[in-house]
Amino acid sequence: MSLGSNGKSTRIWSGATAALLAFGLTALGACAQPAPAPAPAAPPTAAAEQPRAGGQLTFIVGAEPPSFDGHRETTFAMLHPTAPHYSLLLKFDQNKYPAIMGDLAETWSVSQDGLTYTFKLRDGIKFHDGAALTAADVKATYDRIVAPPQGVVSSRQASYAAVLEKVEAPDPKTVVFKLKQPSAALLSNLASPWNFIYKAQALAQEARFPEKNILGTGPFRFGEYVPGSHWTGTKNPDYFQKGRPYLDGFRAVFIREASAQVAAVRGGRAQIEFRGFTPPQREDLVKALGKDITVQESPWVCVLVVSMNTEKKPFNDPKFRRALTLALDRWEGSKALSQIAFVKEVGAVMRPGSPFAMPEQELTKLAGFGKDAAAAKAEARRLIQEAGVPEGFSFALTNRDIPMPYEPVAVFLIDQWGKVGLKVSQAVRESSPYLQDLRGGNYEAALDFNCDFMDEPDLQLIKFLPKEKSPINYGRYSDPVLDDLYTKQSLETNPERRKQLVWQFERRALDEMAYQFPTLWWQRIIPHSSQVRGWRITPSHYLNQDLTDVWLAEK
Amino acid sequence: MRRYIVQRILLTIPTLLGVATIIFVLMRVVPGDIVLLRYAGEGAFVTQETIVQERARLGLDQPLWRQFADWIWGAAQLDFGTSMWTGRPIVSEVALRFELSLQLAVMAVIIAALVAVPLGVLSAIKAGTSVDYLIRVFSILGLALPSFWVGIVLILLLLSVFHWSPPVTFTPLRVDLGENLSQLIWPALVVGYRYSAVATRMTRSAMLEVLREDYIRTARSKGLKESVVMVRHALRNALLPVITVFGLEFAFLLGGLVVTEQVFNLNGIGKLTVEAVVRRDYTMVQALVLLMASVFVLVNFLVDMAYAWLDPRIRFR
Repeated sequence: MSLGSNGKSTRIWSGATAALLAFGLTALGACAQPAPAPAPAAPPTAAAEQPRAGGQLTFIVGAEPPSFDGHRETTFAMLHPTAPHYSLLLKFDQNKYPAIMGDLAETWSVSQDGLTYTFKLRDGIKFHDGAALTAADVKATYDRIVAPPQGVVSSRQASYAAVLEKVEAPDPKTVVFKLKQPSAALLSNLASPWNFIYKAQALAQEARFPEKNILGTGPFRFGEYVPGSHWTGTKNPDYFQKGRPYLDGFRAVFIREASAQVAAVRGGRAQIEFRGFTPPQREDLVKALGKDITVQESPWVCVLVVSMNTEKKPFNDPKFRRALTLALDRWEGSKALSQIAFVKEVGAVMRPGSPFAMPEQELTKLAGFGKDAAAAKAEARRLIQEAGVPEGFSFALTNRDIPMPYEPVAVFLIDQWGKVGLKVSQAVRESSPYLQDLRGGNYEAALDFNCDFMDEPDLQLIKFLPKEKSPINYGRYSDPVLDDLYTKQSLETNPERRKQLVWQFERRALDEMAYQFPTLWWQRIIPHSSQVRGWRITPSHYLNQDLTDVWLAEK
Repeated sequence: MRRYIVQRILLTIPTLLGVATIIFVLMRVVPGDIVLLRYAGEGAFVTQETIVQERARLGLDQPLWRQFADWIWGAAQLDFGTSMWTGRPIVSEVALRFELSLQLAVMAVIIAALVAVPLGVLSAIKAGTSVDYLIRVFSILGLALPSFWVGIVLILLLLSVFHWSPPVTFTPLRVDLGENLSQLIWPALVVGYRYSAVATRMTRSAMLEVLREDYIRTARSKGLKESVVMVRHALRNALLPVITVFGLEFAFLLGGLVVTEQVFNLNGIGKLTVEAVVRRDYTMVQALVLLMASVFVLVNFLVDMAYAWLDPRIRFR
């Protein structure tokens, strides 16, 4: 990216360019074959082989941490280098996702009424400065997340404040969470990778201490951080899990450019990048490195969503919005796009394959998710006419200047909408003005996204809540039906009944009202050095980054 | 001469003040919001209260004149404040990257000079011959091929042929010469080639012009050796415009290697500038632009001094 292009805040793609790209995409789809299996070696597990101690893992991070504070930041660029220094109360089991396991907590119990959660902490946990961790540290941490002191930003405060009444530490080994109401998602939320447990004393002295300092109980101690260059950690000999970590240390190198990331893995300068590569990059690495590369893939809890500004005509008309989703042939789109971009699965608001996902039989009943594309397009044309929108109606699709996967998905959308008589141009904006436009309602339709650390309706559905409650509802609508369904599912602790409520919510949001709709779900593709063992891909790049079980096989 | 130097130094004050004002206004005119990008950039559910609170903490809720006055007063005392993105002092963020950018600029200029001056002179001496054509094709290619593309091809070649890629983190020269050069030699070659192309053409045309001058004919008729005529009489005079080119290129290289730095993953000033602009890190962008403007002013000044050294007529004027 050049300075010149940054200076331009908006770039409108000409119809001709979009058409050319769309043609290429359609042609690709027409001759689409299932993507060739990329020499995938199943990720070796510690159980299958004897883990080897020693060595340094070098991994790539595609951006830089703005600060080191997990409670404050929202980017993977903070998590990837800092997570190995910290522990959580609970964490996701990488081998049994979405199962939860204890991290600092050894055991826990839930009261009959579902309002009290009691956790017993492990013995012998020490901060990197030698001080013992107690329940007071966990309490101080969660107090900071739920009710941050003046000057401290807690980005996920809203997720906890609605549910948590208070956190208590009756003795050094016991933490009690008292809830205002039962919560189906509490345990998962306590396994949030952002909720690093900080030292109470450090927080008491300076509430913003974690922004610029690292002091955790995790498997690695802080080494050095050279902004723009790298971050290192060394093995914590006092780590509470005996025999872990296997690695002597790690080195995170900051590489922004995708081609430079691929070159670094190919040239052996780094062993892994934890966010993901594209299918062509995967193919390049597999072709160049053969058995020296292992590929792990997983559906990703991230999706690009079409947001429409319901305060503007004709996007205020559900018929027109429904026509827009009906026009998309997602199943064919998936075949074509999954060869060039990291998108693949067709699904509703909950990730396909996740515990709350709508089964295909139900999914195909939603507008735009059926398999008869011709019939859907005919219906879309009819609805456009019924909404009083003329043939050849044009509007701009606001898009973000991140090429992958925003660009190919936008081209796909423009091509599909062109087939029902709409003329759509793409207005590519830099991330900052893009967000400003979406949040300020200065757009017609936009390619928005939803990305979370776990499959959890409380997180994924929040985008659809009334605009007064959800600052990320860029559709700017308020639907009490959705609000009510959200509350009901959130309180419902019976998984089967909760699932039904979630599906009801999805039908209302995507089919009846078509407020916003997902395009294709992302596919996480991690090609890494075959030396890297003990790391298993999960559906989120925010999870499983503490490197506790990672080890390096001999070359 | 002393008066001239003092005048030039005094002129830098309004120049830099002008630059500071323009960049301050430009950054505020361009749409975007650092706080939104930081908290909503990855789709997190962040409340409007948090956004407002953060904007206030960064001083973005203050009137523009107040923001400008605070910043310019700090800059006048060489206190550029902290980065709005990282909260770290700007001076340390820049200092960290300056060494790499300076070394790369010096290496690229040296490579460009080593290639451009001999080739330019040779091309002029052999004007109209196949040697001249070959050199011109070489220099035109350097102008036509974007440096970042040459960089990508070079990395792919290294990977394909030697199964090797340059280091991805910077090791200072004083720590490990080999490691340092194994990272920086490649971008220096790529950028040096690009700038040698400009300078080769400049040297050639300047030499051709000088070789037609009367004093060259006089020097030859005095019976001076051809090498003496070329080096002492022709080249010395022909170098004046070439030095200007090298000077300005050097200043540009310090902060302008945006794409090349990305391709080779160099932690330099160019990359920092782009990231700061993308994030709307106002304080960082303002400081960097002021730094680059200062470098341009300084280099221009040094080029003028070099002129005076090379051409006595300027000194005595």
